Amino acid sequence: MRGLRGKSVLVTGGAGGIGQAAARRLIEEGARVAILDRDEAACRRAQDSLDGLTAVVSADVSDAHQVVRAFENLDRDLGPLDILINNAGISVRSPFLDITPEQWRAVLATNLEGVFLVAQQAARRMLAGRGGVIVNMGSTNGLTGYHYYADYNASKAGVIELTRSLALELAPTVRVNAVCPGFILTPMQEAEYTSEMQRAFADKIPLRRLGRPEEVAALFAFLASDESAYITGQCFVIDGGEIAGGLASQA
Amino acid sequence: MGTLDHKRALITGAASGIGAAAAQLFAAEGAALALLDRDVAGGRGVADRIERDGGRAAFIACDVTRAADCAAAVTQAVERLGGLDIVLHCAGIIVRRSVVDLDEADWDRVLDVNVKSVYLISRLTIPVLRSGGGGSIITVASGWGLVGGPQAAAYCASKGAVVLLSKAMAIDCGPDRIRVNCLCPGDTDTPLLRGEAQQLGIAEESFLAASARRPLGRVGTPREIAQAALFLAGEASSYVTGSTLLVDGGGLAGG
Repeated sequence: MRGLRGKSVLVTGGAGGIGQAAARRLIEEGARVAILDRDEAACRRAQDSLDGLTAVVSADVSDAHQVVRAFENLDRDLGPLDILINNAGISVRSPFLDITPEQWRAVLATNLEGVFLVAQQAARRMLAGRGGVIVNMGSTNGLTGYHYYADYNASKAGVIELTRSLALELAPTVRVNAVCPGFILTPMQEAEYTSEMQRAFADKIPLRRLGRPEEVAALFAFLASDESAYITGQCFVIDGGEIAGGLASQA
Repeated sequence: MGTLDHKRALITGAASGIGAAAAQLFAAEGAALALLDRDVAGGRGVADRIERDGGRAAFIACDVTRAADCAAAVTQAVERLGGLDIVLHCAGIIVRRSVVDLDEADWDRVLDVNVKSVYLISRLTIPVLRSGGGGSIITVASGWGLVGGPQAAAYCASKGAVVLLSKAMAIDCGPDRIRVNCLCPGDTDTPLLRGEAQQLGIAEESFLAASARRPLGRVGTPREIAQAALFLAGEASSYVTGSTLLVDGGGLAGG
């Protein structure tokens, strides 16, 4: 895709799942990619499996001081940032009545405050430099209701509105969009769902299967590239048709 | 090597604007094309230019509001290309009138070109895609298929219909590995946009300047909309269906 070769890219949560797939795809497209992740062991594994990775930073996106320090390291190791893939996130399956204040704060801190903290550091650099692109990680859970993820859903709805607001404030220098995946079979989801649950989900999806991390990575690459130069402020659903309407009425 | 090597695409409304830009881009990415339009001179011109540049494109004259025309055109397209993988519905018109000022004939014309054509072409092409093992259908609605706009009652109604027709088709066609997505351009520098200025009696340049009032500070180019169509047409969007992709310079991001 045009406009990715030689660009400096940061992928948060880049050591695993969709983040790692995005990092791999952007390296394939010729970009210079750094990953940031709080999981140091996963960072080391990612460094081994991602050929051509430019830099690795270990930091927790929910900690403002760690984010500032991470960006200082990136200024040195990656150089002026062109593209931010603001992906880091966590989810915990809990009925609403079981969510503790600690869990609520942890989910919101990583998924929403983390996106804010990283985007702010990135945007300051992009506005002062040659512009750039931010792509945030939303979710179809931020667009419609789901059982047992009230904290996660609220955090993703927050990311979606943050995306629109940033698109307005940072235009025309920086484009800001979000991707909203449905059921993607990441290690995080494989750990959460039994194979019976996965089959039950697939039956409710028009394409009759869960998505793959590489398919979301392709959408990140498109929204980061010059191919999407006129797209900003949008939240793009990638869900095999799941929220197009629903198959509940099918016999 | 192109993104659409060995793919065969049918494009309606291919003689100008977004349809013509998509034809050029898809051909450059390796697709073989059937270009449908009722504008024979314009459509031939687009096809000739693509062939001159080394691409493959056949023009087929077709009024997409007429079932008989559509049937003949799809038959001819399948014969020429040997099948279909991609269908891009660009044919569209706008009449800038409120409900009270709109003639019944104009209502019918806008709904026929913008919505009925998608139905007519889809019922003919979905079986072709299905027998080839799947494919990608891209409809073109508008930002005004998602929110209303002034003095464009029939157009807004038609584009809103296209948004949900696309989702309904995505649900029905998913098991056949046919993806259906809806591209929603904002104001784009096309003959249609310039025609709106004329209909409203506004000087073209001041109409375009007003249209540019959005976060990116400009109207889109047909090429930029075509790039989004290319994404939806190709393998890069293999898990995307039933989706709307708004390409509008941030126009509908908010205030």
